[in-house]
Amino acid sequence: MKKIFMTFIALGLTTVPAMAEFPEKPIEVIVGFSAGGGTDVMARTVAKYLEEELGDGRSVVVKNKPGAGGQIGFTAVAEARADGYTLGTFNLPAALALTYDRKASYNIDSFTYLANFVEDPNTITVAASSPYKSLDELLKAAKSDPRSITIGLSALGGNDHFSANLLSSATGSEFTLVPFKGASNARTAIMGGHVSAGTLTLGQTTSFPNELRVLAILSDKRSPFAPDVPTAKELGYDIKMSSLRGIVAPAGLDKKIADKLRNALKAVNENPDFQKKMKDQGNPLAFVSGEEYANVARKQDNVAKTTWEKTPWK
Amino acid sequence: MYSDLLNSLPVVLTFTNFAVVVIGVLAGIIVGAMPGLSATMAISVLVPFTFGLEPLVALGLMAGIYNGAMYGGAIPAVLLRIPGTPAAVATTFDGYPMAQSGQGGYALQVAVVSSSIGGIMSAFALMLLAPPLSKVTLLFGPAEVFWVAVFGLCSIIFLLGGNPVKGLISACFGVFVSVIGSDPIFGVDRFTFGQLELLDGISIVILLVGLYALPPVIDLLETPLKTETDASKLGTEPIWKTLPRMKSYIKTWIRGGIIGVWIGILPGAGGSMAAFMSYNEARRTSKNPENWGKGEPEGVAASEVANNADTAAALIPALTLGIPGTAVAAVMLGGLLVHGLQPGPMLFRENPDVVFGFMWQFLFGAILLVFLGGSLATNSFARLLNLPRPLLGSVIIVLMLIGVYSINERMFDVYLMLGFGAIGYLMDKMKFPLPPVVLGLILGGFAEENLRLALRIGRNDPSVLFQNTTSLVLVFLTLAVIVGPFLKRRFFDNKKKG
Repeated sequence: MKKIFMTFIALGLTTVPAMAEFPEKPIEVIVGFSAGGGTDVMARTVAKYLEEELGDGRSVVVKNKPGAGGQIGFTAVAEARADGYTLGTFNLPAALALTYDRKASYNIDSFTYLANFVEDPNTITVAASSPYKSLDELLKAAKSDPRSITIGLSALGGNDHFSANLLSSATGSEFTLVPFKGASNARTAIMGGHVSAGTLTLGQTTSFPNELRVLAILSDKRSPFAPDVPTAKELGYDIKMSSLRGIVAPAGLDKKIADKLRNALKAVNENPDFQKKMKDQGNPLAFVSGEEYANVARKQDNVAKTTWEKTPWK
Repeated sequence: MYSDLLNSLPVVLTFTNFAVVVIGVLAGIIVGAMPGLSATMAISVLVPFTFGLEPLVALGLMAGIYNGAMYGGAIPAVLLRIPGTPAAVATTFDGYPMAQSGQGGYALQVAVVSSSIGGIMSAFALMLLAPPLSKVTLLFGPAEVFWVAVFGLCSIIFLLGGNPVKGLISACFGVFVSVIGSDPIFGVDRFTFGQLELLDGISIVILLVGLYALPPVIDLLETPLKTETDASKLGTEPIWKTLPRMKSYIKTWIRGGIIGVWIGILPGAGGSMAAFMSYNEARRTSKNPENWGKGEPEGVAASEVANNADTAAALIPALTLGIPGTAVAAVMLGGLLVHGLQPGPMLFRENPDVVFGFMWQFLFGAILLVFLGGSLATNSFARLLNLPRPLLGSVIIVLMLIGVYSINERMFDVYLMLGFGAIGYLMDKMKFPLPPVVLGLILGGFAEENLRLALRIGRNDPSVLFQNTTSLVLVFLTLAVIVGPFLKRRFFDNKKKG
């Protein structure tokens, strides 16, 4: 009798909180790119540590929905049920920029912003063999023969494109933009001398210290990854641009669930193992969550919107 | 660097690190042999698991799969005229006629030995020449790559077949398909009809499965239950008896291997272009070109040596410059990134054990191919041919559907594939050649993208296309390919007269 009684208590203790407690089933993280890309690897790393944080053998599954520059994945997240079981990776500014240059069924308000993990600042970079030793030399050349300086980009409508545009309007110089397919092709064209410069993110330059020369970094402060590189602000041009990768959920997510997820993601970010993994993968961490993250998204949305209005790229 | 190479050898030879290569090669052959399943897919499936694995275990599996799949694609190409992978299209030209005349076993042996030799050459190029070859890659900017594409399109003009007009129509259809999707510069939608699924263009795998696999499968379904033809007899002799016969392909192997490595270090072209070019070169220099396309074993050798020579070489730009030239290389880079191994020159200095170990695994994968592929393919896989034909056809259809669906997990791709299948069936019946379609799709997009990039760099001044020696050499080669045959004929005619 006592045994049965104890069992009831035990059952009561385990089942009642479990009923109320999120998550009761696996959480899916939708990645809008193929397996093995930078965003995918970040998602899988976050997923692994998020599982540990949620504990109790909870599972977090990464699902790839590649296509249309991530749009298929972003749309799937925006249109999913806001129950906390569908999350997605979110790339800024690209995810919002594409809502301007084509028909998209979501916008900035379609998401609950959980947490941003990575912020990789853009740079102005030339080949190590380039005649331009400083940003001023590059700009001087651009001014003396407008459009003669070619800038290799990973695509139009991405952070490197906006960087080039911001540089152009801040300095009054004109460039010829050359959109390659992907950052690595743009980087190779810079190294091979086929284009004069690029606006790669800092993370995309760090593996090539002897082949590339980073002239300036487009952020408020110098990066610990490249402490010798001046910021554009120091050089007199107040421009800031970066590539951000975070985790979002569909809009309208219950506040309790959102907070639980945010706290778990925050704990993931504080895990030293996680930090080491991200560092090895070349992902500079810049954790912001909740409202702060939503503000970052709004800012990025504005840059995309003004760029699109002033200089539409298609 | 060479001491790093030797130092990494003992690590590779540990039981697990070696066993995974064996498993990878076997899995690769099976995956490659199934129409619709590709090496890219198999390796993508692996990426999530690589988190928990030691780097060399994960990479060894990938190296094995890549090598195995490049040969595996030849099995259905020879036996059923269905290329298992895009790179095996050229293998069907002579492999299938050989199987039809009861020489299927020998065709597969030629394929496996050639694949292995191509893989070995490629692995050596990767091991010994990666840094200097990556400098060659840097020489090729958009203008130069554009000329490579033009050269490729011109040099394989023979693919047009007996009726050049029909061949040109096929090629134009391929180029048209390459135009679908968002344009490479501005991202303007072309022929997408508002379908998000079409924005990235049409994947070569979907086109290939539809165009190439569906018509032969329909043929299989049409044949009576019991057919006893020469084709169902493989006529296999033990490989040690047939090996001496292959001595005469040495020249083809060397030439095909060099072509494969060269195409490999130019990101974006891929194994199918290597196989086509090698096939063409071997045919051009052959003493009896009239046999080609009718069951010339040397054709199988030329195609298979080149598509395997592309594999490890494609990793040269991937590892040294971070450019994923092929879809497989892209996924492999992801596998490295998971372990915090970022491509670039630093990778070789900071993680020599892993990088050079990976290269050894490539070499072992290529060598193992002969042993595993030789016995597996000829003895077990080929028994499939004894299945009743309609049954075999149904099995292949199921595989095709699953394979195409799983690329992006969407039904849209399956419908697209079936649509291409209908087109392929009609083209087949109306005697339009299929290879130009595949080539038009691959090289058309490649040429367009690079031409437009080059013109943009040159601010729309076409002289940018002729600005340096590399471009000029390629222009000269292209002209030589077009004009060469005419001059040759003239020269011979004069000689006869004189």
